[in-house]
Amino acid sequence: MDQKKYWQNLGELNNTEGYQKLVKDEFQEDLPMFDNSKGLLDAKTPRRDFLKYVGFSTAAAAVAAGCEAPVRKSIPYLNKPENLSPGVAQYYATTYVAEGDAVPVVAKVRDGRPIKIEGNDHSFLNMKGEGTSARVQSSVLDLYDTARLRWPAEVVNKELKELQLSEALDKKIAGELSGTTPVLLTSTITSPTTKQVIAEFLAKYPGGRHVQYDAISYSGLLLANERSYGKRTLPSYRFDKAKVIVSIDADFLGTWLSSEEYASQYASGRKINQKNPEMSKHIQFEGVLSLTGANADDRFLTRPSETGAIVLNLLAKLGGGVAAPAIADEKVKKGIDMAASMLGANKGAALVVCGSNDPDVQVLVNAINELLGANGVTINWAAPVQIRQGIDGEMDQLVKDMNSGQVSSLLIYEANPAYNYQDAAGFISGLQKVKLSVSFNDRADETSVLCKYIIPHPHYLESWGDAEARVGFYGLMQPTIEHLFSTRPFQTSLLKWSGSNTDYDEYFKKYWVEKLGGQMAFDAALQSGVVEPAEVSFASLPYNGAAVADAAAKVASVKSGSNAELILYQKVSIGSGATANNPWLQEMPDPISRATWDNYVMISYAMAKELGIELNDKYEVEYKKPVVEFTINGKPVKLPILAIAGMHPKVIALAVGYGRGEGVGLAGANVGYNAYPLVNGKGATRSYYSTDVTGYKNTGDTYDIAYTQTHNQYEGRVEVVREYTLADFRKNPEAVPHYREELAEDFAKHTGDFRAEATMYPNYESPGAHWGMSIDLNACTGCGACTIACTAENNVPVVGKSEVKRYHDMHWLRIDRYYASYRDKTEGDDLNVVFMPMLCQHCDNAPCENVCPVSATNHSSEGLNQMAYNRCIGTRYCANNCPFKVRRFNWADYTGADSFPDNQQFGVVGGLDPVVAQMNDDLTRMVLNPDVTVRSRGVIEKCSFCVQRLQDAKLKAKKSQDPSEIRNVKTACMQACSTGAIVFGNVNDKESRVYKLRTEEQNHRTYYALEHIHVLPNISYLAKIRNTDRPVGVKEEEHGATEIKEEAHH
Amino acid sequence: MSLIKYESFVREPLVDGTKTYNDVTEDIVYTIEAKPSRLWYIGFYISVALLLFGVYSIYRDVTYGIGQWNLGKTVGWGWDITNFVWWVGIGHAGTLISAILLLFRQGWRTGVNRAAEAMTIFAVMCAGQFPIWHMGRVWMAFFVMPYPNTRGALWPNFNSPLLWDVFAISTYFTVSLLFWYSGLLPDLATIRDRAKTKLRKLFYGVASFGWSGSTKHWQRHESLSLVLAGLSTPLVLSVHTIVSFDFATSVVPGWHTTIFPPYFVAGAVFSGFAMVQTLMLITRRVMNLQDYITLGHIEAMNKVIVLTGSIVGCAYLTELFIAWYGANPYEYDAFFKYRLAGPYGWSYWIMMTCNVVSPQLFWFQKLRRNIGFTFFMSIIVNIGMWFERFVIIVTSIYRDYLPSSWTMYYRPTIFEIGFYLGTFGLFFTCYFLFSKYFPVIAIAEIKHVLKTSGESYKAKMADLENLSVEEFYAKTHHGDHH
Repeated sequence: MDQKKYWQNLGELNNTEGYQKLVKDEFQEDLPMFDNSKGLLDAKTPRRDFLKYVGFSTAAAAVAAGCEAPVRKSIPYLNKPENLSPGVAQYYATTYVAEGDAVPVVAKVRDGRPIKIEGNDHSFLNMKGEGTSARVQSSVLDLYDTARLRWPAEVVNKELKELQLSEALDKKIAGELSGTTPVLLTSTITSPTTKQVIAEFLAKYPGGRHVQYDAISYSGLLLANERSYGKRTLPSYRFDKAKVIVSIDADFLGTWLSSEEYASQYASGRKINQKNPEMSKHIQFEGVLSLTGANADDRFLTRPSETGAIVLNLLAKLGGGVAAPAIADEKVKKGIDMAASMLGANKGAALVVCGSNDPDVQVLVNAINELLGANGVTINWAAPVQIRQGIDGEMDQLVKDMNSGQVSSLLIYEANPAYNYQDAAGFISGLQKVKLSVSFNDRADETSVLCKYIIPHPHYLESWGDAEARVGFYGLMQPTIEHLFSTRPFQTSLLKWSGSNTDYDEYFKKYWVEKLGGQMAFDAALQSGVVEPAEVSFASLPYNGAAVADAAAKVASVKSGSNAELILYQKVSIGSGATANNPWLQEMPDPISRATWDNYVMISYAMAKELGIELNDKYEVEYKKPVVEFTINGKPVKLPILAIAGMHPKVIALAVGYGRGEGVGLAGANVGYNAYPLVNGKGATRSYYSTDVTGYKNTGDTYDIAYTQTHNQYEGRVEVVREYTLADFRKNPEAVPHYREELAEDFAKHTGDFRAEATMYPNYESPGAHWGMSIDLNACTGCGACTIACTAENNVPVVGKSEVKRYHDMHWLRIDRYYASYRDKTEGDDLNVVFMPMLCQHCDNAPCENVCPVSATNHSSEGLNQMAYNRCIGTRYCANNCPFKVRRFNWADYTGADSFPDNQQFGVVGGLDPVVAQMNDDLTRMVLNPDVTVRSRGVIEKCSFCVQRLQDAKLKAKKSQDPSEIRNVKTACMQACSTGAIVFGNVNDKESRVYKLRTEEQNHRTYYALEHIHVLPNISYLAKIRNTDRPVGVKEEEHGATEIKEEAHH
Repeated sequence: MSLIKYESFVREPLVDGTKTYNDVTEDIVYTIEAKPSRLWYIGFYISVALLLFGVYSIYRDVTYGIGQWNLGKTVGWGWDITNFVWWVGIGHAGTLISAILLLFRQGWRTGVNRAAEAMTIFAVMCAGQFPIWHMGRVWMAFFVMPYPNTRGALWPNFNSPLLWDVFAISTYFTVSLLFWYSGLLPDLATIRDRAKTKLRKLFYGVASFGWSGSTKHWQRHESLSLVLAGLSTPLVLSVHTIVSFDFATSVVPGWHTTIFPPYFVAGAVFSGFAMVQTLMLITRRVMNLQDYITLGHIEAMNKVIVLTGSIVGCAYLTELFIAWYGANPYEYDAFFKYRLAGPYGWSYWIMMTCNVVSPQLFWFQKLRRNIGFTFFMSIIVNIGMWFERFVIIVTSIYRDYLPSSWTMYYRPTIFEIGFYLGTFGLFFTCYFLFSKYFPVIAIAEIKHVLKTSGESYKAKMADLENLSVEEFYAKTHHGDHH
């Protein structure tokens, strides 16, 4: 080995002491290694590990601090009930019954809780569809109403004293009953078993009687039918068989009788077959803009006192041989001429309906329909309709009898005259003279607290029962949940008090088993929910015109004064006011005024100007609305106003159903003003208008009205709303496709593929399903059932008035209402109204998606624009960038789902109304759909195309290997729509309805809202067609000017 | 008479009076070593009170939700983002003065750069509050950071301009802070060297990072300044460009505009200079620094204001022109129907008056050199620039595509205002602390300037000036006889 020594310096060569020290301390610090000998806690933290330690301790602190979640116990079944799997929904057919209305429905029950109602498509009453009204949709929430009475009570000095449901109680009441002549006061009862129970009860108490009282009276119609056809009942109207429909004051699409059924029939005449475009003609005469009027092709403004004169003129023009008073208004005169000539030309396919409650007017309407050959065609008498049976005279007589002390006991079921009888004071004073009064109402409402006993009747979802809305058409009720409270059917009470030992449930079963001929048949009937004939037959009744001359004379004598007139109308949501404590309904925007949580006086623009109210931007956006003092029937009333287009200049309108007392519950109490005392009860039948509005002056005060839409015109934006007259559409059916071709020419010059070429983003394929929706603006009546269905399905929070007025409303689906007047003419007869359901358009090139910094909103391969709530940090950029403004932000802790405790009560800036507390009550929360996350504060939410239903359908399809499961999937809005305006499906499936609509059946009307900005919505609309000669929409030349040539990529 | 003049005819001195190096140090460090004045205390306490109110406002917003503000389904951004953009804009002047003017060798920057940079940093701090606390779930704000996580490959959305903001603003803040602090080092060392109390010695000792004033230190310092200036220059342009992308990349008519980046940058410089004016005018008065922040400085900044104000005015008019010329009815409506007119028309005209019309008065030299007027205008410009952001944000979204969704953004709630006031509190608290504990004027740089400007320099040069040409020649060319 080489002995050469290499050295670097002298120190090394000589190996000095200093050098040795240097070598030893070459690395002056310890190498940053773990010294585990001392244990982790004593170990030093070397510099190089600093970041590691910071990371670890931050994470550890975060975990330690964040892991304290509230403990919620879920208790599994000890013994699993048969046929019940947690997480799997069950469906029970039952029947919605309220105030005479009877709608066969199917209740969806999840883990023992009913959470959703759909129409029962086995029933002719639903036109064999699943569509329902908003009120039916919301009825499931009433089941969990916190204001429902939880036990029977005795009322002592207006205080409720709890009672036990016991034999002793029954004995006590039966004892008090004996020797009296009881009067049973109910709303209209269609149930055959209940009627039998009542008959048996009255048989035990001779001299007793049953009075049916409808909050909104149809006595006039009933009495007129008795005179014309010999039967005090209602026909079933067939709007689908009518090519010409004339309605005078009847809101048959919104609130008049069986309007959901009519809407469905009506829509069948309004849908366009593009190969042979035809549609029914609808002419409306009315003073207030109703939902029905908003859908009419031609609309004429009249006062309510002129109703008779118009009917008379129409009858005269059609050759009814009556003398008709002259109509002063030229336009109305022309309208009558037009209506008469069209009706006359369509005999056998025409229908005239009238909303008047005057029997004389209705007799004349019957005469018109008789002339038109409607009897047996559009007016079907084969199975009379029983949903309204109250005769005003009987109620008036009862009140008279009570006051004269002739009524010794009164049993009240589902009637609330202390609130909704026009002479409530008279009723109340009479009630004090009644010795024994028992209320079966479900809450301590205005009437019940004045009674001696309250024995609450259960909700229909807890009950057995039946309903016969139309003779021979039965709906059966079965309980979907055990009684939540100590309630008992009032029929059971009647049975017990008439000495029977059976309760109503047994009675009902026995009745039906006998009637159907056995348990098997009964079970089958329960399962289908309805007992109906296989076919709807048509029949006429012999008509008796004897009453016409007399009626004509009486009607002709009614003079229209020069005063303004008041119309009392019902809102589509609240109706008579029985469901005023339903937060979903209170928060549902009125289809016309778009206002929530209130009633108000609707006045014309002309009257607003007269009152010195400037209808400018400020009026439009300011929720503080003027309070006007009206002198109605000689009394001054101060009420807030809303100026509404299409009102008769001398007509004001106020909704009934508001101003409920404390007993109705947190949400409904003291909301709005009670208009029932303004009902005119002087005549034989009540009339819902007053000709005595002698004065109105602006008080200068204001009142907050929470409404969800401030601007009413669509400003000629044809890319949003497309409407044509029927004639124009026939002449130029390809206007819409032509526009779409132009877009492709301008922005996809090379390939012609607007979708792929007009963007800088890549075009993604959706190999499996691609969801899409088509909404027919012609079929949509704007009723709003879809909004409530969506709310119920998707746990959409209720925010209350104070939040709605700050534009914090949360609806995922709204119905935009535009006054689409020709050339900005917003008043009078030229008014067109468009309803446009607006929900997340699930854009394939969604502007919301690329602006989210955390990808909380993103696109699925199935074309869904999805929200990952857990990922959302709430920058709201997506909402700002959404051209459709459908994204909703949780501004406060609306649901109680927030991790911050006790943060719903804040002052200073608004605050959450009591209704939020009601919605967050453990009882109310039972209505929540467990398949849908309840969103917490600070996140954005929006329509998901009911993704839970889509997933469910895909799963079913996978399990059963049957793709048709996917074809059958329906979103909640589509399912609830009785007119079939909404069609949803997989557009990749060439057999799907939506694909066919877009590509062949309705491609001429198919357009996408704001298509020119290339957001590629997955919702298409079908252009609105109106059967009118009036100009519609934007002028032709303006059309050209507004065609957009904007750069399409963003 | 000599032909040689060392005092420029066009350029006025950058430092007034006969200052020696010692005078400079004394003048500037005096306030740090003395007890603060009564005025300082009053101002400081008011600022802290505002800051606390801001903290309470944020507490409300975090606890009860964004519903504490009056935003709604249509107008999702209001005062929050308006204030954000406003503060970011203000935070532009400092770096512009430090970096771009350094690169352009503008000597006058030395008088104002320190305070302007500090203002930049404080303004960016204030600006940052808004995007953070305007989130619905601020406790999840860390989702915007691209960090490896256990959620699979879950990254932030790099397409989102909001994410670009996160990076742009944090980068800008970091670079500005470094720039400012590295400039402070020699001055902090000066204070350290003069310090008589232990605490002061310790604090400035640590803060000055062992600056010894060696040539090497100076050389590194100069290089670092240049490097940071080079880095900051594009940042000055990029930050507001990216902020403008928040709007420009959207589909909202009134936001979707390609002119935004230059327009925003010009506006930012405009408002930044106005804010510098506001602060400087007060500072020089209160701290007796009239000799360092001279009328010349003020005039120079006013010139920048009139220039950028005119650029902004041009941008406004271009926007209007394009809205008409572009023949897009949605954009036309947004500008002509709902911005110039409509319920928010007043805000547009406030903006126009404050930003475009009134700064034109600065074409008059008399007004440019009028301190009272300048102060008034600086406030006006900042009001105008606040309204510019309000106009862009709110009056674009309150009426966009679907008329059914048009709403109003009524009025701010007390907590919305409180948040804004709170950022003023933060800003001025920082500024008061800064003016008490840090040299508000760059001592070292002023001394540097003294070599070539000011009365002392003039006096030194007087002898030379008095020489005749021949004498001067003789003096400067001795030994070069011919």
